[in-house]
Amino acid sequence: MASIILSNASVEIPVFAVGNNSLKTTLLRKAVGGKFAQTGSNLLINALNDVSIEVRDGERIGLVGQNGAGKTTLLRVLAGVYPPTSGAVQVIGRVSPMFDISLGMSPDSTGIENIKVCGALWGLSRAEIAAGIDDIVEFTELGDYLKIPVRTYSAGMLLRLSFAIATLRQPEILLLDEVIGVGDASFMVKAKARLKEVVSRAQILVVSSHSESIIRDLCEKVIWLDKGSVAAFGAVDDVLAAYNASV
Amino acid sequence: MTQGAVRSDLAVPNLDIHHPLLPGARDLRDGLLNWRLWSMLGWNDIQQRYRRSAFGPFWITISMAIFIVLLGFIYSKLFHQDIAVYLPYIAIGLITWGFISGTTTESCGVFIENAGIIKQIRLPYSIYTMRMIWRSFIVFLHTAVLMIPIAIFFHMNIGWSALLAIPGMLLVVLNQIWLSIVIGVVATRFRDTVQLVTTAIQISMFVTPIMWPVSAIPDARFIADINPFYHMIQLVRAPLLGEVAAPLSWIVVLVMCVVGYGLAAVALTRAHPKLVYWL
Repeated sequence: MASIILSNASVEIPVFAVGNNSLKTTLLRKAVGGKFAQTGSNLLINALNDVSIEVRDGERIGLVGQNGAGKTTLLRVLAGVYPPTSGAVQVIGRVSPMFDISLGMSPDSTGIENIKVCGALWGLSRAEIAAGIDDIVEFTELGDYLKIPVRTYSAGMLLRLSFAIATLRQPEILLLDEVIGVGDASFMVKAKARLKEVVSRAQILVVSSHSESIIRDLCEKVIWLDKGSVAAFGAVDDVLAAYNASV
Repeated sequence: MTQGAVRSDLAVPNLDIHHPLLPGARDLRDGLLNWRLWSMLGWNDIQQRYRRSAFGPFWITISMAIFIVLLGFIYSKLFHQDIAVYLPYIAIGLITWGFISGTTTESCGVFIENAGIIKQIRLPYSIYTMRMIWRSFIVFLHTAVLMIPIAIFFHMNIGWSALLAIPGMLLVVLNQIWLSIVIGVVATRFRDTVQLVTTAIQISMFVTPIMWPVSAIPDARFIADINPFYHMIQLVRAPLLGEVAAPLSWIVVLVMCVVGYGLAAVALTRAHPKLVYWL
């Protein structure tokens, strides 16, 4: 049973003042006893502020908010890569974080080689990758292109390949951050179908998007993040109405 | 725990025993054990670097060969040494030092280079260090093969005891792992560390008996003995030259490893809540 629980989670990101990320300066200050240039205080960016959320098995949650509200930060906390600087997070279930779907791509490696490396990064075993290669060949329709370096691919072809690799995994918790950009019409149709299939196999979905249609299509609940805090968390229609009214 | 299942260090699972070094030690263990991933990433790095170059990775071999031959000729004259003795000596030193200096310098950037992955997929931090160590080891092997023609050409006295160079090199690699982890964490927090490391390595290359034999300078014994790099290189060089590395060398490197992995665990424990925010 997958679940996500955030209790008063906050994320404060330091921006180091001049000299505070210099080893030489730090050692000199210790040696000279503070007379060598005052320590500037570091800036602390409050990316997430006291967020408490509970997501249960089977729920599909949308994430909306203005740019800089903290949506990506929240997703990274859920992915386990941003430990909260205060508060707690507990995520149970196999997490598939789809933020940058071209993660791990090497331009001079062939399509097949990239499938193996990216697949391994995504946490797939060799058996799973081997089993998935046929699926990828068929979905991407890249044919013999898969045997030559991916630097020769167009943006659309790269997207098709990344998307196929990233969606191989059986996620329990799927985190999407504005995933689909470039892509021709026929691919968008195929990709939507595949994405829906992947989403249906997930037990929990959290998707961040500026597109209302995607949110309405995939989710039944929405979190509205405003300046790092939860402004609203409830049913799709209610929260989206409130969010749109505030804009 | 299934791979990818995420449990924050700050969550309160019921049966966790809280040892201060546990997150760091766990990171070390999980990272080192995941050899499939870091060996694949490291090998991929090599392929990327050399796929579009003529000679490919053998360029490493050729450039080291040129370096050894030139230095061997010039310095054997300078030190009035027999080239048949001196060139093998400098070759082993340069090849081993290549691995030590390369890993130490590259260790500064491992987390910064892998920032994209770190901010997306939760993996032990030691994996990124191991990626660098593995690709450096592959580069090392490309230079180590030069010892074969050198041994034949200069009629080196290679007996069974030369095999001791293998555990010697293994200890060198193990040592570089913990060192790279510690430097990597510090260098991510303090971005000028790489400058300090680079300078220290450059100085070490001359202070360590690599290009000059210990016998060339009468008072050098002490300078050599307090230099950990000297002991590391001796573990590989002595067996191949038909000598036995002094017990002191084995002791120094072994103790360094034991203490060093403790330091690495500390570094990783302190890094875990914060490192990603330094990127």
